[in-house]
Formats: sequence, structure tokens, C-alpha cells
Amino acid sequence: MSATPFPARPHGRPSRRTVLRGGLGALAASAVGGPLLTACGGDDSGGGGGKEMSFWNFYGPSDDQGPQSKWFVSLAEQWNANNDVKVKLRYIPGKDYLSGTTLQTAFQSGQGPDIFLISPGDFLRYYNGGVLQDLSSALPAESKADYLPGLLEARSVDGKIYGLPMEIEPLAMYYSEAAFEKAGLSEADLPKTWDQTLAVAQKLTGAKRNGVMFETLPGYYQNFTWYPFLWQGDGTPIKDGKVAFDSPAAVQALKFWQDTIKNKVAPRKALGDGGGDVVSNLGSGAVAMQQSGIWAVADLRTKAKNFKYGIIPHPTPDGGKPATDLGGWAFVANAKGKNPEAAAKFITWALGSTDAEGVERQRQWNTVVKTNVPPRKSVQTAADAKGAFGEGVLKKFVSEIAPTGKPEPRFPPEVYQPIADAIQACQLNGADPGKAAADAAAKIDTFLKTYQGAPIS
Amino acid sequence: MVTTTAPPSPPAAVTRPRRAKASMTKKRREALAAYAFLAPDVLGLLAFVALPMVLAFGVAFFKVDGFGNYSYVGFANYKLMAHDDQLWSSLRITGIYVVTFVPLAFVVSFALAMLVRNHFRGIGWVRSAFFLPNVVSLVVVGLIWQFLLVDKRGAIANLLAPLGLGDVSFLGTPSLALGTYVVISVWFLMGYQMLVFLAGLKDVPKELEDAAQIDGASAWQRFRYVIWPLLRPTSFFVVVNSTIGAVTGLQAFDLVYVLTKGGPARATSTVVLYIYEQAFTFNNMGYAAALTTVVVAILVLCTGLMFAFTRGGRFDED
Repeated sequence: MSATPFPARPHGRPSRRTVLRGGLGALAASAVGGPLLTACGGDDSGGGGGKEMSFWNFYGPSDDQGPQSKWFVSLAEQWNANNDVKVKLRYIPGKDYLSGTTLQTAFQSGQGPDIFLISPGDFLRYYNGGVLQDLSSALPAESKADYLPGLLEARSVDGKIYGLPMEIEPLAMYYSEAAFEKAGLSEADLPKTWDQTLAVAQKLTGAKRNGVMFETLPGYYQNFTWYPFLWQGDGTPIKDGKVAFDSPAAVQALKFWQDTIKNKVAPRKALGDGGGDVVSNLGSGAVAMQQSGIWAVADLRTKAKNFKYGIIPHPTPDGGKPATDLGGWAFVANAKGKNPEAAAKFITWALGSTDAEGVERQRQWNTVVKTNVPPRKSVQTAADAKGAFGEGVLKKFVSEIAPTGKPEPRFPPEVYQPIADAIQACQLNGADPGKAAADAAAKIDTFLKTYQGAPIS
Repeated sequence: MVTTTAPPSPPAAVTRPRRAKASMTKKRREALAAYAFLAPDVLGLLAFVALPMVLAFGVAFFKVDGFGNYSYVGFANYKLMAHDDQLWSSLRITGIYVVTFVPLAFVVSFALAMLVRNHFRGIGWVRSAFFLPNVVSLVVVGLIWQFLLVDKRGAIANLLAPLGLGDVSFLGTPSLALGTYVVISVWFLMGYQMLVFLAGLKDVPKELEDAAQIDGASAWQRFRYVIWPLLRPTSFFVVVNSTIGAVTGLQAFDLVYVLTKGGPARATSTVVLYIYEQAFTFNNMGYAAALTTVVVAILVLCTGLMFAFTRGGRFDED
């Protein structure tokens, strides 16, 4: 978006010609309407030669050169030391990677990276676009067997594996010990049901603090955090290829989030980077309970060392079952890249190696530089041996919360969007949950009738 | 005689073209200089604005999946629009934004210009203070306002708390979010428009005002019959510029993208944000291109109407 309708330099009194030119220039700028077609700016790190593979990610090498950046850099260095086809990292800031244009424009112009990171929410979009490389043949059987059940299936189509998960990120409720103490509440008051959550949150809410918080910004992430509440009532958006969203489970889950806002115990807008940012919300004292993922343990460890907190599983509705969503990014290779076979080899080496070095690399990522549940059994064993999950919140995540989880659904945008609209409308605009669920179901149904692509799950 | 008369004529014949040639050269030099100065802008405009614009019209006839595959679909993208509720709602939101933002920004910046028009102590400081928001990137503006508007704990919530309004969530309430954007946008743009008005005011001949005063015109009459008519071209520029800015400009996209991503509950989903979503979330680049052409058409129409009604802001005697 180079052209701006408001020139930085103020003109003198404009003549008709400048008016015309300014007007037309700005008009023309509107044709771009976002950097739709300016994507041609070639990026030399895209594609690379047959001897070089580009690896786009949002970790390293970053300016802060933190532990996560270092892990990526050393990963590339290790590979490059022993292989002819080198890996070249390109760092893209998280916000741009997640919802910016860099990746989209690169793929649209055939300049996509050879290796990149993908979240479950984006899997079908890329798979149906024909750019995901089959990794199965490069992945040894023992490595395949090492992954926890369900994880590879969520990244597979017709038995072929298209992405290797690097981590498992379950969601839970975090709470501030100080906030509970201040409100005269004890551990015995930690909520187990939705009703209790609303009641306890009421007691924790004050002039400067909200009792509980769920994500409020629309997007993939909000959907991801809402699904556990849908699953608790045995609901699902799609069942056996048909829409199943218009259900009592969906209605009650929509209503629960709505009630937290209606009762004024939850904020209408989160601080910092939103619902996943525990440091800015829970850590700052703005909320007393916050839903977030296991990554927050590492964030709090580095950015709020003295903050005392605990976690509990998601509270359930009456008669509901415990549930959480297992997020986590995966490495994928570009089938239309310069060297998809080498890229597949790199990915299976980086994340799938079962030798001591490979297991250690995974242990480092999942329990040292970042906090996750390791996606492989051997890595979990190695981490346990070091006492990574021996106590505290991480133990709870692994032993109590993760086992109730399902992998994050892979919905194409046409399914995700109606659900997002229903969540937003109920949560923030007082819409009737029954009607919102029915509207969303109708839209999903229309889409499914013409959908041609990999199975949605 | 023959020898005396004959010689002068050839020199005359030679000098005339020489003189003409000299002036041509000067003219040409000036023209060349002008082209040279214009070239970077013109080339940039052609490469990054005109060409993509033309391409967008072409792409609108294709289904583009975001992975480099194109298939010709004729007018299908345009036909889709009829049943696209979200498009109409985003156009409606953009419309509301334009009709509140443009007049408000006009009045506020004009008032500011009149306020800082005459010299007084500290004028430079006052002018800079009003202009300052305009030099900051809109992403930063978004972050600043996000900080100010934090629910319950932000500076604005603290200010309003004594009035019992400490709990109001300006960016989290659908009925308030768009209005909040209007206020932020006005705050952002008023300094720039103030300068444009100031430049316009400077061109109003002092003698005319003095003459009017001698004739007994009151301050209001001097404003109404002298200043205001002479400001017509400036006013026209400001209105056209801010209308286009409000529809397609940075505050209709960057600000919304940083602060609410079109939420809460789609209350701030402007048409440009919707086009962005179609292109980059849904991978419907063809449809996004078609939407873009419609927005361009609407803007051309709006600008044309404004031209027609104000004759391009020309003076009556032009």
C-alpha cells in the first residue's frame, strides 16, 4: 500500500490540476484495496535454488535472538553442516505470518517458501491449493509410531502425511493467586462448572478487574479457544461430512460466553495481544481468571517471574464432559517448491528423528525453550526423565488436561467464518444463541453442498 | 545598393531562426526538467497504481485460488455480490463512517485553521501539536489509542469514571466502536487538513478583507462573503480527499486491523477490510478484485457528483 490518499507533504492551495491528480491518485490507490496485486516484488529467499531451501517461520533468526530463535538457527546450522541442499531461514514477524499478506502473496505468485509452518486452521486451505508435499515416504515407520495417536491423522489425507507437528498446545484456565486471596477466595472456590465460573467471577470482579476472560477478537484463535466449550456438550460443527452445528451443545456454549459479558464479569476487549497473552491480562492484574494455552507457562516464566498463578481444566456445563483443544504448529513442505523431496527429508529429520540427538532436539523445543506437551512418546519419556513435568502446572497440563483433548479442527475459511460470526454476535452483540447457531449452520450447509476437497474434520 | 541591401537580409534570415531556436531550447530544457522531476512520481503511479488497477479489472473475471491457479468465470464474481450480505453490510458501515467522518473532520480542521490563523505567542507550538498525530504511522496511532481505551483501566476510562462511565468499552461495544473510529480518525487527520485550510486562507487577499471592513462588513459577513467563497477550491479538495481516504484510506484499514479486526461482531468491518479478508483469509483473490472494481466505481461516481455539484470548487467567475 504505497499510495496514500493523504500526502505527507501538505500542498499549498490546490489548483484544479492538483485536485484532479490527488483525487485520481487516491482513486487509483483504492484499486489496490490492500496489497492485492503488488505482490510481484520478488523475494530472493523465496524458492531458492535447487541447492538451497527457504524456510519461512516466525521464530528465528529474530532480532531478540531469544532461545526460540536460537533453536531454529541451530537447527538450520546442524542440517547445513551435513547436507548439500542447505536450509536458509527467513524470519517473518508473528502477526504478519498469522494474518498478514507475506505468505499469501508469495504463493499466489509462485514464490512460496520450500518449508514453512502451518496451523491446523490453515491446513485445508493449503492442502486444497495443492501446495503440500507428502512427507510419508521420508518418514521412517518407527518415527511414525512414536507420535501420539491422532496427531498425524489430523495432518493426513488418504493416509498420506502432509505435516509433522512440532508441539502440542492444550488450553486451560489460568488463575491469579493474588486475586483470589484479595477476594477472600481459596482453592476450594476454583470453579468446576460454568455456573460456578460465573458466580466466582462475580466475586473477583471489581472496579479495575474482571473476574474471567475469554478471547474477544475475531479470528481463527477465538474459534480455537471456543471449541472445547462446544465439545463439552458433545457438539461438533460437522459430523460425517454434514453440518451439525445447530445443536443444543452449540447454543449453550454460545450462551455461556455471552453470559460472561452480559453479567459484566468478563472484559469486552483483551489487553496486549489478546486472549493468548497471559502476561498482559492475568499478569497485569486486569483479570483474575483467563483461558489460555500451555505456551503461557514459558511466557510467564520469562516476563513475569514473580507472578503466582495456577491452572484448572475448563469448567464444564452440567452433565458435560471435560474437553480441551490441542493446538500446535507443524512443519510442512511446498510441493511446488524447487526441491520438495529434500524439504521433506529436512522436516522428517528435524522433527521426526528418533536417535538421541533428534529426541534431545525435540525435548529442548518442547520443555526448555518453549512449554508444550511433546508430540512424541520418546520425547515425553526423555522430558520426564529430566523432571520437566514432575510438578506444578506443567504436570497438570500433561496428566490431567491434555488427555481430555482433541486436535484442533481443520476447517476451511468457509466453515470457520460462520462459526466466528456466531461467536462474535452472541458474545459481544447480544444475539440470540439459538438463532446464531441456526444461521451459521445454514451457511456451512450451503458451502458443504458444493465443497470439493479433502475431508473436513 | 545591391551590395548594401543584399547583405543584411541573410543575417536577418539567420537570426530569426536562431532566436526561435534559442527560446525553444530554453522551453525544452524547462520541459525536460519538469518531466525529470515528475518522472519518479509518474513511474511509481504507473507501476504501482495504474497497472495493478488495470490488472484488477482483468483478475475480476477469474477464479483465483491464491496458489497461482486461474480459471475464467466471466461475470460470476459480480453475480456473487448480489447475495453477499457481508458485502452490503460492510458498504453500509463504510457509508456511515464516511458521512460522519467527512463533515466532522471538515468542521474541526476548519475551526482549528481559523483558530491558529492569526499570529500569537506560541503559535508554532500549537500548530505542531495539532499536526503531530499526522506524522505518526496509523499502526502506532492504533497502539496509542488501544492503550488509552483499555477497558476499566485505561486513561479514558479513568477520566470517565467519576461520571459513572468507567465501565464503558469503546472498542468492545458494537454500537460504540465505529463512532470511536470516527473520533480517532478526525484526531489523526485534523492537523493535515488544518494546514491545507491555512494555506488556503493565506491566499485570501488581505486587501479584500480590509475593503470589506471599511465598507462596514461585520466579522461574520467578511467570513461569509469574502473568505468562504475564496476557499471553495480548498474546501473541495479537503472533501474529496477525506471522502476517498475514509473509504479506502489507511484509517479504514490499518486502524481497524490493529484495533478490532473488524469486530466486535463485525461492527467495524469496512469494505476495504472485507476485500482484504476475501483475498487473504478466503483466498478468493478474483472475488476480491471484483469487489475492488466496484469500490472504484462508487468512488468515481461520488467524486463525479461532487464535481458536478461544486463545479470542481472553481470560483464563480472562472
